[in-house]
Amino acid sequence: MKRILAQCTKELAQFRRDRLTLALAFILPVMTLFIFGFAIRLEAKNIAIVVQDFDRSNLSRRYTEGLYQTNQFVPAQWSGDDPMQDALDRGIAKAAVIIPPDFSRGIAAGKTSQLQVLIDGTDVNNARVIKNSIQAFTRSFLQDQNLMSGTSKITPRLRLWFNPGRRESLYIVPGVFGVILAIYPSLLAALAMSREKEQGTILQAYASSISAAELLLGKCLAYLVVGIGQAIFVIGLGCAIFRIWFVGDPSPFLIGTGIFLIASIMFGLLIGVRANNRSVAVQGVATAGFLLALLLSGFIYPLSNIPFPLSLVTNIVPARYFIEISRDAFVRGTGWEGVWVAQVCLVVLAFVLFNIARRILGRMQLPG
Amino acid sequence: MTQKTVTNSQITEVRPTDPAASDDVIRVIGLHKHYDRVAAVQGVDFSVRRGEVFGLIGPDGAGKTTTFHILGGVMEATAGDVQVLGQPPRDARLKIGYLTQQFSLYLDLSIDENLRYVGGLRQVPDRQFSERREKYLRLMNLEKFGDRLAGELSGGMKQKLALCCALVSQPQVLLLDEPTTGVDPVSRREFWDVLAALSSEEGVTIVVATPYLDEAERCNRVALMYDGQIQQIGTPAELRNSLGLHRLEVHTPQLQAAEQVLTTLSESDAIVDVQTFGDRLDVLVSDPQTGESQVRELFRQNHLQADTIELAEPTLENVFVTRLRQQGSAPEFFEFPRSRGGNRNVTTGSSSDFAIYSHNLNRSFGSFRAVKNVNVEVRYGEIFGLLGANGAGKTTTIKMLCGLLPISSGDISLGGERGNLRSSELRRRIGYMSQKFTLYDDLTILQNLEFYSGVYGVPRRLRREKIDWVIATCGLDGRETMLTGQLPGGWKQRVAFGASVMHEPDILFLDEPTSGVDPLARRQFWKLINDFARNGTAVLVTTHYLEEAEQCNRMSFMVAGEIVTEGSPSQIKASQPGQLIEVVIDQTQAASNLLKQQMESWRVSIFADRLHIVLDDPDRDIPIVRSLLKSANLTIHSLRPIPFSLEDAFIGVVQRLAQSATPEEP
Repeated sequence: MKRILAQCTKELAQFRRDRLTLALAFILPVMTLFIFGFAIRLEAKNIAIVVQDFDRSNLSRRYTEGLYQTNQFVPAQWSGDDPMQDALDRGIAKAAVIIPPDFSRGIAAGKTSQLQVLIDGTDVNNARVIKNSIQAFTRSFLQDQNLMSGTSKITPRLRLWFNPGRRESLYIVPGVFGVILAIYPSLLAALAMSREKEQGTILQAYASSISAAELLLGKCLAYLVVGIGQAIFVIGLGCAIFRIWFVGDPSPFLIGTGIFLIASIMFGLLIGVRANNRSVAVQGVATAGFLLALLLSGFIYPLSNIPFPLSLVTNIVPARYFIEISRDAFVRGTGWEGVWVAQVCLVVLAFVLFNIARRILGRMQLPG
Repeated sequence: MTQKTVTNSQITEVRPTDPAASDDVIRVIGLHKHYDRVAAVQGVDFSVRRGEVFGLIGPDGAGKTTTFHILGGVMEATAGDVQVLGQPPRDARLKIGYLTQQFSLYLDLSIDENLRYVGGLRQVPDRQFSERREKYLRLMNLEKFGDRLAGELSGGMKQKLALCCALVSQPQVLLLDEPTTGVDPVSRREFWDVLAALSSEEGVTIVVATPYLDEAERCNRVALMYDGQIQQIGTPAELRNSLGLHRLEVHTPQLQAAEQVLTTLSESDAIVDVQTFGDRLDVLVSDPQTGESQVRELFRQNHLQADTIELAEPTLENVFVTRLRQQGSAPEFFEFPRSRGGNRNVTTGSSSDFAIYSHNLNRSFGSFRAVKNVNVEVRYGEIFGLLGANGAGKTTTIKMLCGLLPISSGDISLGGERGNLRSSELRRRIGYMSQKFTLYDDLTILQNLEFYSGVYGVPRRLRREKIDWVIATCGLDGRETMLTGQLPGGWKQRVAFGASVMHEPDILFLDEPTSGVDPLARRQFWKLINDFARNGTAVLVTTHYLEEAEQCNRMSFMVAGEIVTEGSPSQIKASQPGQLIEVVIDQTQAASNLLKQQMESWRVSIFADRLHIVLDDPDRDIPIVRSLLKSANLTIHSLRPIPFSLEDAFIGVVQRLAQSATPEEP
């Protein structure tokens, strides 16, 4: 225990001394919070479209106006005579709606009329959103105009739970907490470990009788202190700026944060133990950490969309479990009942990472 | 001065050479270590007794560091039995203090924090920790700097702190891997004084690796290691005697001609080796009488003038080089392929012909005057040494002299050019090898050399020849395509030297060229430098390794930005006031403690089983020393005057200056 504490005090003294890592520890996370918190917008708003109305009837005009009133679409500047394809080609509009000359006549005659909708499919996600919106709008337009053939017996009454206002920050920000706490504490830990190897000071530890486990735990303890500081700082700032707060019992989140920090630090130490110098360590954490925490954690892309066998990888990404806990704390609020599995998974992961790192450090000797 | 009484505990001394003390602290039998296919250590046997200072000496790549790693318990041996304090080294780790070759300190921690960390790691109880912290910081004169960051200490202070850290857990064994590399002469002396005290007063067993053979003289026993094997073990005196050769110091004004005559014309095997220094030749002979008469005879036949021929003991360097030559491992000397036939008129004496000239040169950084009124005059064909401790202003001076750094005031002329020292025409005539020469580690040796020959404007058709010469000289044939980063430090220095002379410069600046280079390679280095000088190149070299400064024709000592002494090696040594006395005595450490109470401590140092004492007035002081030692019941076995080394001279100059600057009570 004394050796763990000695290791820990030393790490903290070094950390305090190094202005660069100090900045790294607090400024970069805040920048990440702002970039992700403000910049990522998943909902489609203000999509530029053009409408070419060959019908020029009351009905077609009402349809066009209705389309723009949804707030989702805005008219793009386009003279009505040029071919619609050009508007898409030049990127002026994301979609074009072409109303044929016999549109209103056909409807009046009780026949099925056709609309042509061209959508820019470069961005698949957006294209799908546009397609669904136009379809949904058209259906409701027909209903409003009483043009539906045969009234439907069932009308769904939809209610959004947990996030009734569909506030996006409520979805993004708790996830950003996960990404930040996955990357920065592990980066610091990896740097601290690889620096000893790079500068040869690790030999001093080898030459004393400190064990691999004690060395790792000492470093982990120091960076846990730093990580808790980062967590309070980033989460506090995030809550204040994006106006989010706990719903229900905060204790699973608080405890989960601690466990998650340990897991990320262990991940960093593991990379540091493998890397022989700092630049390799930074690259390792940046590549592995960022990719896993961003793409395979459910932060942006739903886990259920990730295909097999890649979906198996998500099970060993600690950020995935933390994001689950975090979203529960800020959005759902089910408490322990909903997230105890995630907590257990984090504990197991932290322990596994620690053991791998310990195995690699092995007998605290130079490689033969 | 406060008079301390000599307590009993100071006199009781563990006698390291006592044959009855058979308690071997370290025992190594048949040690082997292989890295993949490379055998680093191949069958090493030795043992070290309690309280002994044991030196491990050998060239780069001899397997010294590997041996240390194994003794320190941080590496597994491939085969063999290693026992430290009767245990496998790994189990004895808490009783071993290990100073690794790289600085084993955290440079971003303060002195106190470094100590505390080691204390915690090694589980030193708090009370003992603060006791020992006090004691050792005082011993190393570091007690005032507790809050200073380790990175802000000088090289010497860093190593002393590292030693403190190792001592905090009160180890019974100290392993020191090249502890004084990059440490200035004064700190080096102090460091060794501390080691001597630890071994004799506290019975600490010390194993030390060093590339400096004058340090090996301060060990009780020395092992010569080469190619993963120990070639010879013995006390310094035994090693010298085993050589069966004698050294003649021949002073002559015609060094080059004399060397040629002695090496090529000597028919008998009376003359074994000839080595050129700045103002003398060292000739190794098997018999002093016949040797001397033969040298005289050869001089007479060739109309050479020999000022003096003095008989001296062979140095450990002689032993080392001769033994390695017998192994056939001396690097070969290749004539440089000269295409310009350099030789300009070496002997003209007018001042405008100085290759490097400066008058009242000054340089300040803010309010700090790094260089004060420095005068340097170097002629073509001359090797000039600029010596001094770290931070004395050597590198600043050299950078100004070759135009890399603007001067604050003063006159400079370089190769006859006064105004623009950075013109490309002038730069083509200059070679500069900096302290940390920038060979690109991620290029191959060949690519580096091609790059530099291009940069220095070596004509394309000559490049191949010059590059081949560098590679042959460095003994790297067939390994040209190796990455430079994989070379050991000493080899890299040699390649770097090659790269800086490929364009046959008229003026060559060498800033600490041989730091980290082993004795054998160092010899070759100086042979090359001499060869360039003889062909008319002016050479300015800085070093803080003073034994090496003997190679310079003339030199200046710099202290705190000023030149304090200048002259040829013999002149400087002769100008030292007083006399150096070697005393062989029963209890060296007790005697040293006693004497240090009566005179300034720099005047007394322990060299293995003897004392070196600097006395200003020997006729008056020797009887005082004798009676002082006798009154403490110490038996003097012998007492004789010996010549000053350059290092003695340097330390004397520095200490006398410090003394006159801060006058203390007598």
